[in-house]
Amino acid sequence: MKAFVAALLFAAIVAVGVSILLNTIQQPSSVAFTTDGVRVGDPGHNLIGPG
Amino acid sequence: MASFGRFIRLAVGACAFLLVIAASAPCNAQQVNPTASSVKEQQLLQELNRIQGRVSIPDQRSGVLEQPAGRDWREFRNVTLRWIGGIAILGIIAVMVIFYLTRGMVRLESGRSGRTIVRFTAFERFVHWMTATCFIVLAISGLNITFGRPLLLPLIGFEAFSEWSQWAKYAHIYLSFPFTIGVVLIFLMWIAGNIPNKVDVDWLKRGGGIVGHDHPPAYRFNAGQKAIYWIVVLGGGAVAVTGYALMFPFYLSGIEGMQLAQVVHSIVAVLFIAAMLAHIYIGTVGMEGAFEAMGTGEVDLNWAREHHSLWIEEEQAKGQAPSGGTPKAMPAE
Repeated sequence: MKAFVAALLFAAIVAVGVSILLNTIQQPSSVAFTTDGVRVGDPGHNLIGPG
Repeated sequence: MASFGRFIRLAVGACAFLLVIAASAPCNAQQVNPTASSVKEQQLLQELNRIQGRVSIPDQRSGVLEQPAGRDWREFRNVTLRWIGGIAILGIIAVMVIFYLTRGMVRLESGRSGRTIVRFTAFERFVHWMTATCFIVLAISGLNITFGRPLLLPLIGFEAFSEWSQWAKYAHIYLSFPFTIGVVLIFLMWIAGNIPNKVDVDWLKRGGGIVGHDHPPAYRFNAGQKAIYWIVVLGGGAVAVTGYALMFPFYLSGIEGMQLAQVVHSIVAVLFIAAMLAHIYIGTVGMEGAFEAMGTGEVDLNWAREHHSLWIEEEQAKGQAPSGGTPKAMPAE
């Protein structure tokens, strides 16, 4: 049982850690593809927009 | 003379009128279909294999308007994959039900000895359960992508399905990382015991103790467990590589490569799920005493003797298992 609980905790910690890491190094499309001449609209809170 | 002049004027006028009509006919035809000679969509697709233009945003890939291979991929995703997945998963469930109703649980024929031996260490069980729990979440959230829209959406409605699918997508993405760590650890941890050998051939010829009541000898892992090991390592590796190709679009390939990655990812995944259902069956209701190996880490000595006789001999030779006379038989339940 200890091994099982430890496995769940470790998996959760890795998953949360990766989500934080990816959110740090990746930009939303509305930011990444906006230039001086083109402004990409914020897609809002949906499946493709920022969570 | 005057009437002759009128006749000439009339004739010239008629000729001019006919000339105007004749000259205007092609113009009328052009007005009916002014783009008749322009390039058609199908011609463009045949020449270029895609229709694309120029866009003002930095990502020039967004200029692709039509990519015909995408239609084939959509057909696979919406039709073919559902058939493959449905047959694989429902088929293995049907086989397990029939097998359980005809064969029943594989019992410990010599009963329980009351003495146990360590089968898996705490670290091995930790790695197994981490990989297993991640796999279950990945399987359910992955099946939602393929089957959720036709099966779940009509039951729970758009609002609930959207919310559930969004969280399932997050779980699918982020739990893939501990799953991949687990697959790598499983590969390294158990590779030594999972190289196929002659004993496996004999084990398979004798039905592996599943078909019939024979107990062919096996080392720590029998041929069936080795098959599961390689399915996890190779199948897990395949879904991980193709999954990351999809998770980080355009880093490894273009759109065609990602469509191919999705095809491989989804087919391997549904077959992987079918194989793991069989693994779960034999590790729980299919065989008496099998779950204890991953539950507590210890198995009954008689269980080890019946299913892994060569392994128990090795352990006894190393002094890590009780040796000597026939252990005390106990009731199976």
